[in-house]
Amino acid sequence: MRINGGRIVRGALFFCASLILFFLPFNTMAAGEYSFDVEEFESKSFEWGGYAEIKFEHIDLNTDSAFYRLNFHQDPRSTIDRYTGALQLEYSYKKGIGAFNGVLRAEAGQDDIGWSDSADVYEANLSLKPTPFVTADIGKKVFKWGKGYAWNPVGFIDRPKDPNNPEEALEGYFGAGVDLIKSFSGSLQTVALTTVVLPVWQGVNEDFGEVNNINLAAKLYMLYRDTDIDFVIFSGGSRSTRYGVDFSTNLASNFEIHGEFAYLTDLKQNYLSETGALTKRECSAKRYLLGLRYLTESDLTTIIEFYHNGAGFSESELERFYQLVADADTQLLNTGIDTLFQTAKNISNMGYGSPQVGRNYLYFKINQKDPFDILYFTPGLIAILNLDDQSYSVSPEMLYTGFTNWELRLRFTFLNGDNFTEFEEKLNENKLEFRVRYYF
Amino acid sequence: MIYGKVLSKPSKVFFNFLVQMTLIMLLVIPAAALDGNEILLQVDRNLQPESYEMYRKLINIEPAGSKKEYVLYTVKKGQDKMVALFLSPASEKGRATLRLGDNMWLYIPSVGKPLRITSLQSVVGGVFNNSDILRIDYSAEYNAAMIEETADKFILDCKAKTATVAYDRLTMVVDKETMVPLTIECYAASGMLIKTLYYKELKDFGDGLRRPSVLETDSPLYKGYKSVMLYAKINKKDLADEVFTLNYLPRVDELR
Repeated sequence: MRINGGRIVRGALFFCASLILFFLPFNTMAAGEYSFDVEEFESKSFEWGGYAEIKFEHIDLNTDSAFYRLNFHQDPRSTIDRYTGALQLEYSYKKGIGAFNGVLRAEAGQDDIGWSDSADVYEANLSLKPTPFVTADIGKKVFKWGKGYAWNPVGFIDRPKDPNNPEEALEGYFGAGVDLIKSFSGSLQTVALTTVVLPVWQGVNEDFGEVNNINLAAKLYMLYRDTDIDFVIFSGGSRSTRYGVDFSTNLASNFEIHGEFAYLTDLKQNYLSETGALTKRECSAKRYLLGLRYLTESDLTTIIEFYHNGAGFSESELERFYQLVADADTQLLNTGIDTLFQTAKNISNMGYGSPQVGRNYLYFKINQKDPFDILYFTPGLIAILNLDDQSYSVSPEMLYTGFTNWELRLRFTFLNGDNFTEFEEKLNENKLEFRVRYYF
Repeated sequence: MIYGKVLSKPSKVFFNFLVQMTLIMLLVIPAAALDGNEILLQVDRNLQPESYEMYRKLINIEPAGSKKEYVLYTVKKGQDKMVALFLSPASEKGRATLRLGDNMWLYIPSVGKPLRITSLQSVVGGVFNNSDILRIDYSAEYNAAMIEETADKFILDCKAKTATVAYDRLTMVVDKETMVPLTIECYAASGMLIKTLYYKELKDFGDGLRRPSVLETDSPLYKGYKSVMLYAKINKKDLADEVFTLNYLPRVDELR
């Protein structure tokens, strides 16, 4: 939900974020005798917290790519420098069996193109818990279903994650739900049923799908013989009916595997056919993911995931789109007319412009905790590979959390591939990012 | 007395001797008669009630002396169910870890769903790993054999029951008087010493619970680093089994 506030309010939030970041000291504690005043941590009915961050990004644009041409054919440039400030507030009020929880986020940025800002309510929901077995929720809430780290094929009512930042908060949807839990002794240790009603009306969850529909989603969770298992179903008029199952288990104390499978019925999709014409198709599709997490004795964590999206575009369908943009560029150069660019932009908005729109991907993340005896220092690397066209993005990064409540992250991302491949045709050739975050 | 009417005088003397000796044996030798597993069970019960809540502060101390502190609210039920919720610092607040036997999960509010973690990882960095932070009963994970007994100590050799336990073997020194551990050396299957735990500063937590209030650890793998755990407010608490489920993790704070 976008707050109808003025630019002044957003600017003030940005200013606050900057103030918090620059005027609070890095509070490492001096050595000395330890003490523990437990009264300081007594539960309070109202609690709040959050973080403020500033981020600097330097982007080298790939001036030969399809998405560069689409976005900058009227305003050519080769680099973008961007400064962003953000403030995220989280709060909760508890009384009796009820709790009201919320997450607010405001962001403002200035780059070579201009100023942008936003203020959003990510979450605002009332939760009632009459017994440990039952919880009822109503309001705006984030749902994150599935076991995958980078992708979640069974996340039928989730917003898609950014695989480069899968742990970042996302905006929720308005809905109402009930959660029932029951524990047992024996091989079946836990059973939990989560049901959610998610309406889509004018002004409510409009970006979820077709309006004027009430949608239902349910998740049945079981912990059976040390394995997490979920069965998921979604039904409603806003999106097609879909079914899913996922699992996660530890094969050893340092080795976890997980997987998801989803079957989506009656998907409607626009794609570029062999003739180059925009064509509609309706089909069923399978999406699945298999992944593992492995930790070595030296604290090196590896996450690998294979993701198949049966509803994605094939390599040739993507190539046709990139060819269309190349033709639009030629048309503009030769005739000064940009009608093909307008067509390509419309098609881009129908799905070709979304992230990871192909069919088969490999995700690889590796990080080393506390190398060279440097506590709280975590260098790592994230790679995403499109297995169909062999293009990829690679992001080495360094994270430092040694100052209490501060997080510093330096990341460099570069993309590569042959012409007319997914990552080669993205807007960026590479990006350098430095982010400082302060939690309060 | 009944025997006075039916036994002769020498028999009475002999019977009295037998009774007195039996009483002396019962009073003086009970601890010595315990085997390793029974001692381990007593250690567990003396360290914590079966079902309880408590507050802990974890302090990681670097060689240069700088510290990083975490405060956790913890609830435990039975031998192997435990939840720990981070209350501080702000960057970790709301994170919760769940342990059910060999299974461990970490819930991060921004991630929104619990992720499986392993016992050897550490959610706080430093020398304590997840199995130290989510410490269930020692007797749930180890079989113990007594390898030495001195005037005031038992020394136990504890062998992990399964390969999924974080430390393959423990050498535990138990104080005879209080029946709580003094030191525990933790070894990998290869025989390598991973860390040493030092239980210190006995404190009366009320309700008959008298146990160490400080746990220190160091490790040859983290030379110069030290981690400390301070215990407070250990109270018996009745908890539903459903508290120890993934769906409950976002609501653990409501137990306080």
